[in-house]
Amino acid sequence: MNQERLLSSHRREGERASVIRVSRFWGQYRKNRAAVFGLSLLIAICAIALAAPLVTWYPPLRSAVGGPFLPPTANYPFGTDDLGRDIYSNVIYGARTSMMVGLMAAGISVLIGILVGAFSGYYGGKLDDLLMRSSDVFLVLPTFLLALIIVAIFGTNINNIIFAIAIVSWPRTARLLRAEFLTIKEREFVEAAQVLGSKHIDIMLSEILPNAIFPVIVNASLEVATAILTEAGLSFLGAGDPNVPSWGLMLNNAQNYLRVAWWMAAFPGAMLFLTCLSLNLVGDGLNDYFNPRLKER
Amino acid sequence: MSSVVRLIARRIMLAIPLIFVVITINFIIIHTAPGDPTYILLGETATKEFVEAMRARFGLDKPLYLQYTIYVSHVVQGDLGYSLLKSQSVGALITERLPATLLLIFSAMCISVLVGVFLGVTASKKPYSLRDNLATGVALFGVSTPTFWLGQMLLIAFAIYLGLFPVSGMKTLRIELTGLENILDIVQHLALPAVTLAAFHLAFIARLTRASMLEVLSQDFIITARSKGLDDRAVTYRHGLRNALLPVTTYVGLSIGILFAGAILTETVFGWPGMGSLLYDSLRSRDYPVLMGVFIFVSVMVIVSNLVVDILYGFLDPRIRSR
Repeated sequence: MNQERLLSSHRREGERASVIRVSRFWGQYRKNRAAVFGLSLLIAICAIALAAPLVTWYPPLRSAVGGPFLPPTANYPFGTDDLGRDIYSNVIYGARTSMMVGLMAAGISVLIGILVGAFSGYYGGKLDDLLMRSSDVFLVLPTFLLALIIVAIFGTNINNIIFAIAIVSWPRTARLLRAEFLTIKEREFVEAAQVLGSKHIDIMLSEILPNAIFPVIVNASLEVATAILTEAGLSFLGAGDPNVPSWGLMLNNAQNYLRVAWWMAAFPGAMLFLTCLSLNLVGDGLNDYFNPRLKER
Repeated sequence: MSSVVRLIARRIMLAIPLIFVVITINFIIIHTAPGDPTYILLGETATKEFVEAMRARFGLDKPLYLQYTIYVSHVVQGDLGYSLLKSQSVGALITERLPATLLLIFSAMCISVLVGVFLGVTASKKPYSLRDNLATGVALFGVSTPTFWLGQMLLIAFAIYLGLFPVSGMKTLRIELTGLENILDIVQHLALPAVTLAAFHLAFIARLTRASMLEVLSQDFIITARSKGLDDRAVTYRHGLRNALLPVTTYVGLSIGILFAGAILTETVFGWPGMGSLLYDSLRSRDYPVLMGVFIFVSVMVIVSNLVVDILYGFLDPRIRSR
C-alpha cells in the first residue's frame, strides 16, 4: 500500500514536472529567431501537404493537362514537364510523399534505435556487445549504397524505400540512447525503483527512458531530414516509386531536359531544400535548448 | 614501437570481420531477393546453358553453407562476377572507373577543408557578429541543399546559360590535347562537379571548426598564451586552430563513405565517367552483379580508410595507443 502510494505520487510529480518542462521549453525556444522561422516553415510545408487537393487544380501524375515544356504562367505556376504534367501540383503532392517517407522511415528507425539502445545500455554484457557490433556495421558502411541495392533488388515501391532507409539509419539513435542509459541507470532513483521491486521493463520505460529521451528527440528531427534527402537521392537515381509524386523522381526526369526547361529542376529541388532547411533549423533550436552550455558562448 | 605494432594488429583484427559482414550481407540479399539467385546474377535473358554453367560455378545446387563458402572464396580472390551487359568483369569495370571518382572526391575534399576551415575560423573570431552570422548562414545553406539539385542549378547557370564551363564529361572529345592543355581541360570539366560535391562537406566542416574553435579558445592555455603577450594571429592559428583541427581530421577520415554516396549523385548530374556513372547505368539496366560489386568494393575502401585513420591517430595522439 505504502509502496504504491509512493510510486503514484512519484509519477504525479513527474507529470507536473513535464508540464513545467514544456512551457519552459517554449519560452526558451521562442527566443531563437532562426528556430522559430524553421518551425513556421515546417508547419507551412505540412499544411500545404495536408491541403494539397484544395490548393492545386490539376491532379498530379496526369499527363497532358497542358502542352509539354510550358514555362511558368498563372495557370501553371511552376510550368509543365515533358509529358505536359503540371509541375506545381506534383510539387505540392510531392510534399505529402516526402513528409510521409520522412516521418515513417525516421519513426521506424528511431523506434528500433530506442529498443536496441535501451536494452543495450540497461543490460550491458554480451547482449550489449552483440548489439553494438551490429550497429558498428551500419555506422561504418556506405549506407546510401546499401539502401540503393535493397530498393533496386526488392522492388522500387514506397514501402521498400521506407524499410531500406529505416534499416540503415537506426544505429545513431541506438548509440545516443545507450550512452544516456549507461549514466542514468547508476542514479539513485533507478536504484530506488529496483529496491521497490519494479520490473526491469517498467524501470526502463517509465524511470530511465523519460530522462534519456531528449537527445533522441533532437536527433529525430535530423533523422527526418536525412530520410527525406535519402528518398530524394534514391528516386533521383531511378530507384524511386514511379506511382507516387516525388521530388527526387521529378529531378531525375528534369536531368534529361536541363537545357530546355530549367523550371523542371528548379521548383521540386527548391521545395526539397526548404524542407531540409526547416528541419535543420528546428534541430539546431532543440539542440541549443538541450545543450545551453554551447549557446552561452 | 611495439605498442604501435600491437595497435595496428588489433585494428586489422577488427577490420577483417567487417569485410566478411559485407560479403555476408551481399550473399543474404542475393538469396532473399524475389526469384532464383541466378536471376540476380544473370538477368532474365540468360540462355539455359549459361544459367546451368553459372549454377555449377556457384554451386547453386549444393546446400546453402557450401554456396556461402564458394561465394566468399570468389569474392576474397577479387572475383566480383561479370557484368550482364558489358561483357567485362566487374573488377575490370571498377578499376577502369576508379581514377575519375578518386580525382573528383580528392578535389572536393581539398575545397571543403580549405574553405570550410577558413569560414569556421572567421565565424569563431567574433561570435554572433555579422561576419559570424554570414558564415553560419552559408554553412546552414550548404548542409540543407541536396547535392544533386545544387549540381543541376550550377549546371544550368554556369554551363548552359553563361557557357563558362562544359556541360558534361571529363575531357573535350574529338580534340586530342596534350600536356598542360589536357590538364587545364580536365580542370575546367572538374570545377563544377567538385564544387557541387564539396558544398555539403564544406558547410559541415565550417560548423565543426566554429564550434571546436569556440571550445578551444575558451581554455586556459589560450588565456596563458594571450597573457604572455602573443599577438592575436599567433594565438588564433598556432595555439587555437592546431588544437581545433582534431575533430575536422576525424570528420575527413570518416566521411569517405558519404563522399562516395555524394559522388554517385554528382557524377550522374555531370556525366562524370567514374564509378557513380557506372552504378547509375547498371541500376537503370538492372545489371545486378555490377551493383553488388561496387557495393563490396566501396565498403572495403571505406573499411580500409577507417583503418588508416585509426592507425594514424595512434601516431598523432599517444593516449589512444595505450587503450
